[in-house]
Amino acid sequence: MTFSWLRKPRRTFFLYRRLFGAQLKAILEYQSDFYIMIVSAVLTQLLGIVFLWVVYNRIPDINGWTFWEVVFMYAMVYLTEGFGSLFFEGTWRLGRIVNNGELDVMLLRPVSPILQVLSYSVGMNGLGNIVIGIIMISQALIRMDLHWSLGKIIIAVLLVVTAILIRVSINLAANTTAFWFKNAGNAFPMMIHNLGEFAKYPITIFSLGVQLLVAVLIPFAFISFFPAYYLFDKSSAPWFWIACPVAAIYCAAVAYTVFHFGLRKYESVGN
Amino acid sequence: MKARLFRSRRAYMSLAVRNMQNALAYRLTYIMGFIANFIVLIAMYALWSTIYEGRDELAGMTWMQMKTYLLVAFICNAAITFYSETRISGKILDGSVSIDLLKPLDFQKARFAETLGSTVIEGGLTAVIVIIVLLFTSGFLKPDFAHAVLFILSLGASLFVKFGIVYLAGLLCFWTTGAVGIVWARMAVTSLFSGSLVPLAFFPGWLEKLSLAMPFQGIVHTPAAIYMQQLTMTEALGAFAAQCAWAVALWYAGKLVWSRAVRQITIHGG
Repeated sequence: MTFSWLRKPRRTFFLYRRLFGAQLKAILEYQSDFYIMIVSAVLTQLLGIVFLWVVYNRIPDINGWTFWEVVFMYAMVYLTEGFGSLFFEGTWRLGRIVNNGELDVMLLRPVSPILQVLSYSVGMNGLGNIVIGIIMISQALIRMDLHWSLGKIIIAVLLVVTAILIRVSINLAANTTAFWFKNAGNAFPMMIHNLGEFAKYPITIFSLGVQLLVAVLIPFAFISFFPAYYLFDKSSAPWFWIACPVAAIYCAAVAYTVFHFGLRKYESVGN
Repeated sequence: MKARLFRSRRAYMSLAVRNMQNALAYRLTYIMGFIANFIVLIAMYALWSTIYEGRDELAGMTWMQMKTYLLVAFICNAAITFYSETRISGKILDGSVSIDLLKPLDFQKARFAETLGSTVIEGGLTAVIVIIVLLFTSGFLKPDFAHAVLFILSLGASLFVKFGIVYLAGLLCFWTTGAVGIVWARMAVTSLFSGSLVPLAFFPGWLEKLSLAMPFQGIVHTPAAIYMQQLTMTEALGAFAAQCAWAVALWYAGKLVWSRAVRQITIHGG
């Protein structure tokens, strides 16, 4: 009964839209918060750009990567974070949902609990991240003077979609640990989230262990590094972009399975 | 009068101790928070080491100075954790500030005592680990005795300055309904102007001057400059004095804002 939503994508989308809409209305009640969240996200993101700007003022490239190429990677990290916050902020509330016993309410409703968790909250900061992210990505792609074909445009769009899927799946899987760590708050998912730091720079500058970690185990590198590698024609093997959707499927499957295990292990906190 | 003073000091002490115990109770959270910050440090370390490949110096700093700087900045940033910070705004947002108003304690001093309590455990442990690494492994700069002493004092002053800024940002929550946005914005501004993002020497001249004119530099730039002996003893003493002056100014600014902010309280229900 629980996972029938995979078979009914239209109904799932409809339900998500309704749940999201309800949360959005609640958020918009507090207008000053709305603006503060957006401004804070923009500030945080500009900070990263200022860092790169200051560094690249002194040197021409980092390990063969130029300013706009690294800006693209930064922007991909923030853009996907933005989508995660704006549309799927609920993943970050899973700890609270489990600890407060709100999951009981969700389990009683005839709607998939995963969908309810994803749409539990709206992070307005995401809007700031998405806007600045899109500006930065388009600037980077324009300045780099790339050769575009229809195929490349389609693949570029696909890579953004898979990047978002990877990010949200990692968020969900990391936060699902709330089913096991009863009292750790957000510390564990935050730790996993920070691994995304490695995805802001070309992973070739890191040690082999770090490379394996972010390219295989927790594939943050597929959010930014590998798309950049493909789009900026750094690879001699043009087909390797296929690895990105594969990584996305892997992440989604892991997140789904972990969540499923968590649910089965779940015991209500009682009242 | 004296007895009352003593009694209230004991109350603040017990707040600090309670938060120390709290920090110890949530060991796992602390360790994971430490690893989370450590990941950022590793990323920055690898990045800078790549940047320095084939270069002797950048913005007047050698690779040895840069890696020392990264570790010293790591200590300074560990002083007040995200959890300590959101505890202050949390009190305002969830309304428990109204109970604090009934207590015969000064709100600012009480929050400082709490922050100090968690910092002793959380920041203290980081400081000890990193200082051991700095002193006993080769490849890092080591200060002479006088600068080392002044560095420790400056680290203490850094905590005061940071608390002043964190507290002021926390009080803004009297006018808003959420804390996270304010904390993030505060972190971004602090990171830029304190020297935590990049040493201030890397900035273009105007931005460096601007940063040096603000209190944020006291959080990372001043202690790091003292540790690395970029300042003569007289200059270092001057920088330390400036740090202390900012700490005091921020403390009184906190008092001023509090007296205005407290009028904003709306208490629902009863």
